[in-house]
Amino acid sequence: MPSDPGSFRAFAGRAFDPAAIPGKPEALAGVRVLEVASRIFGPATADYLGLFGAEVIKVEMPPRGDLMRYVAPEGFFWKEMSPAFLSLNRNKLHVGLDLHPAEGKELFLRLAERSDVVVENLRAGTMDGWGVGYLQLRERNPRIVYAANSGFGQWGPYSAGRASYDATAQAVSGFSAVTGFPDQPPMKAGFWVGDYTAALMSATAILAALSARRKTGEGQMIDLSQAEAMIRTLDWTWPYAGLTGKDRARNGNVDPSYPPSGIYRCRDGFVAVSARDEDELIPLAHALGATDPDEASIATPERVGAYCASRRVDEVVRLAEDAGFSAAPVRGGKEHYHDPHLRARGTVCSVDDPLYGRVDEYGPAPKLSESPGRVKWSAKPVGWHNERVFGDLLGMTAGEMEALARKKVIGKWADIPGARPPKGSTP
Amino acid sequence: MGRHPRRPAAEGKHAVSGFAGWVREATDPSAAAGKPEALEGVRVLEFCPGHFGGMVAASVLAEFGAEAIKVEPPDGDPLRLVAPEEILVAGTGLPFLSEARNRRFVTLDADDSAGRDVFRRLALSADVIITTEPPERMEAMGCDYPSLREERPGIVYLSLSTYGAFGPDAVRPVRDSDILCQALSGAPYIVGEPEREGVPPRPHEAPTRLGNWHGGFVQGLWGAYGVLAALHFRAETGKGQAVDLSGAESLMMFADYNITWMHTGGKARERLGNFDPAVFPYTYIRCRDGYTFIAAYNDEAFDSLMHIIGRPELARDPRFSTPKNRVALENERALLEIIEEWSGDRTADEILGAVEAYTSKRGGPGAAVVTGRVNRPLETLSEEHWRERGCFLRARDPVYGELLLAAPPWKMSGTPARWKSGCRPPGSDNRDVYLGILGMTEEEYRRLAEAGAF
Repeated sequence: MPSDPGSFRAFAGRAFDPAAIPGKPEALAGVRVLEVASRIFGPATADYLGLFGAEVIKVEMPPRGDLMRYVAPEGFFWKEMSPAFLSLNRNKLHVGLDLHPAEGKELFLRLAERSDVVVENLRAGTMDGWGVGYLQLRERNPRIVYAANSGFGQWGPYSAGRASYDATAQAVSGFSAVTGFPDQPPMKAGFWVGDYTAALMSATAILAALSARRKTGEGQMIDLSQAEAMIRTLDWTWPYAGLTGKDRARNGNVDPSYPPSGIYRCRDGFVAVSARDEDELIPLAHALGATDPDEASIATPERVGAYCASRRVDEVVRLAEDAGFSAAPVRGGKEHYHDPHLRARGTVCSVDDPLYGRVDEYGPAPKLSESPGRVKWSAKPVGWHNERVFGDLLGMTAGEMEALARKKVIGKWADIPGARPPKGSTP
Repeated sequence: MGRHPRRPAAEGKHAVSGFAGWVREATDPSAAAGKPEALEGVRVLEFCPGHFGGMVAASVLAEFGAEAIKVEPPDGDPLRLVAPEEILVAGTGLPFLSEARNRRFVTLDADDSAGRDVFRRLALSADVIITTEPPERMEAMGCDYPSLREERPGIVYLSLSTYGAFGPDAVRPVRDSDILCQALSGAPYIVGEPEREGVPPRPHEAPTRLGNWHGGFVQGLWGAYGVLAALHFRAETGKGQAVDLSGAESLMMFADYNITWMHTGGKARERLGNFDPAVFPYTYIRCRDGYTFIAAYNDEAFDSLMHIIGRPELARDPRFSTPKNRVALENERALLEIIEEWSGDRTADEILGAVEAYTSKRGGPGAAVVTGRVNRPLETLSEEHWRERGCFLRARDPVYGELLLAAPPWKMSGTPARWKSGCRPPGSDNRDVYLGILGMTEEEYRRLAEAGAF
């Protein structure tokens, strides 16, 4: 039966309250993930699983580890850590393990026996060449779900030896060709969208494969190309090319599907104006000076541009709310950091890390009422959790670990910014 | 009626043995049809009129095998009428056609009490509800989450909106769209050319929208991910739950290290065109046939690139000799000019050839020189690689004809994602769904149809 009006808002306020999250269970508790990856595509995949409760063991090559550790904005390190590495590696256990020597491979296989998922983003076939690919792992653990993330996939003419980053996928997929202004060169998105989009697709396929495993008892191999992930996102680009034989044009800041919806310059910043149909176009046209409903066509990008140019962002947003079309400010990281709405939702959150103290992060986007995602701790130096993983999980003695460390099979951080603990900390 | 071009598992000059051959055999999408599906038995009800992100969420789940039912108003979903360049195929625009896959199409009038009753019966038969309608409307229909879970505690209920269902901005009166989500996400803020000092800005010197509906797509993708996490929890505990998702926050998750840098360094990312504050070279460069991507940002890779362009001494030039110096904006500009002196009279393919010839001799971090042509869509379509991997398919339908579509991107050995069916007209599956799933009799079906319930 219908509940009281307004009850969903009240329910939502209680059910999603960020303050209650620590006391709730995690959706992916009990799922163990091995990450053998560097930079973004693989690490972000594992990060998304870890945000919802999977135990992620990040395997890094000692002593330098993931090369993303050295990607630092303007060369800036904080407590010996790059802020760009922090945001990709929450809730992980960091081990330093060299997969080249036989003893390293055997340790990895022992970890894989106790794991549910492997995520890697090495060049196609590298893990197999090392003797720790899917075919070798499934001999030891047929339940393993193995996500091979790569630029061009594990097979096909471009797969062999070709490396890829986010912007390779932006470029070769056609994504950049449709982004930017028609009279300007193609615009690379200034964030690593080709990695994150594909990483989320990889994490999604992993959950689907875990669901299948419940029924079949068997794991499987997932081959995901980040270029193909971006191709899938390009909505009407492909049927348009198929029907017209033409390339979809770059359309600048006006959405060609919903003109004049787009991003416009105001006196003090930028605003998005949105009108999905007549119900919003007519109020928009009225705001622009139309006096009768048939004049919706006066809502051209030029008129909207002139309307916004003489107003402040908050004025346009307020006028839209009053009039009945939609508008929202163009926001950046500084606004996000200080936004009470995002803080109240836990979308910008603080974690109290035992090594680094308070670290603020973006929290998980989907809010789950019963088993919410969360940031529990921050990224750590190379090999930080060796004892916990090799000792507690694999049952190795301190003496065995020392012997392997002497042979450089396992190891910890290099004494350089990005890899090592904060100065003055006592590991 | 659609097909993947069927090819033998190994043929022609690209036939490979070993691991790549095994993966090809095991994951070739042309063999997917005979295999089981990961989400078989999961029923998804999509009630997202006029909304692209909701369609994506249902499509993703359906590509993994969920049974998806799309509910449209009796005269069709408003998104069908969205038609860039006014191209309509049998009354439906290309954005809708691109995402209308693997689902059944039913209609009902949610403003009519009999229609609402049909909706509620459907909802109570589903494992997953995806909706973009405001909670107040769902309450009025008796189909908000707290109402449904009383009768169906295992239900997973995904609601999509611009700002989310709680928090101070949740009540803002907007109708969710890609452009709103993009604007709020922080993505356009760091895409596009910066303004120059002392001169009036040109139109393109502005935060720039991603040209596709990336905000809507990513909203749908996070939605599907949230649903799968909730279904995993349900399989362990029997408990359903509500999933609240803001489209703005969905794309925000991809906005790099915005928050960690603000927190640790007090700095915000700003837009820099094709330059980058953390890695360089990592940019598009001019070449003889357009633009191509070039990256070589760690020291060893940069040394490789300087060898490739015949300027090995520049790896020791103090402007470029450390990652930190290379990301000073004036040094990025100088370096771009130097690289383009080399690339300007070479094609993108020649640049790829030069990079591969050098890096194949050099392992480790020194091999991390990465390139790839900035393809126009037709150029992507002309490349054999994607064709061989079944990235695109041609759907065929008696009403909508032949349509070129992107295939599901996941190649999987056990339960591959797959494309099964394309768009159908509104209400095409009413009879199947209402008789087959809801158990209506012919008589009841006819009576409700005549009364205008669907």
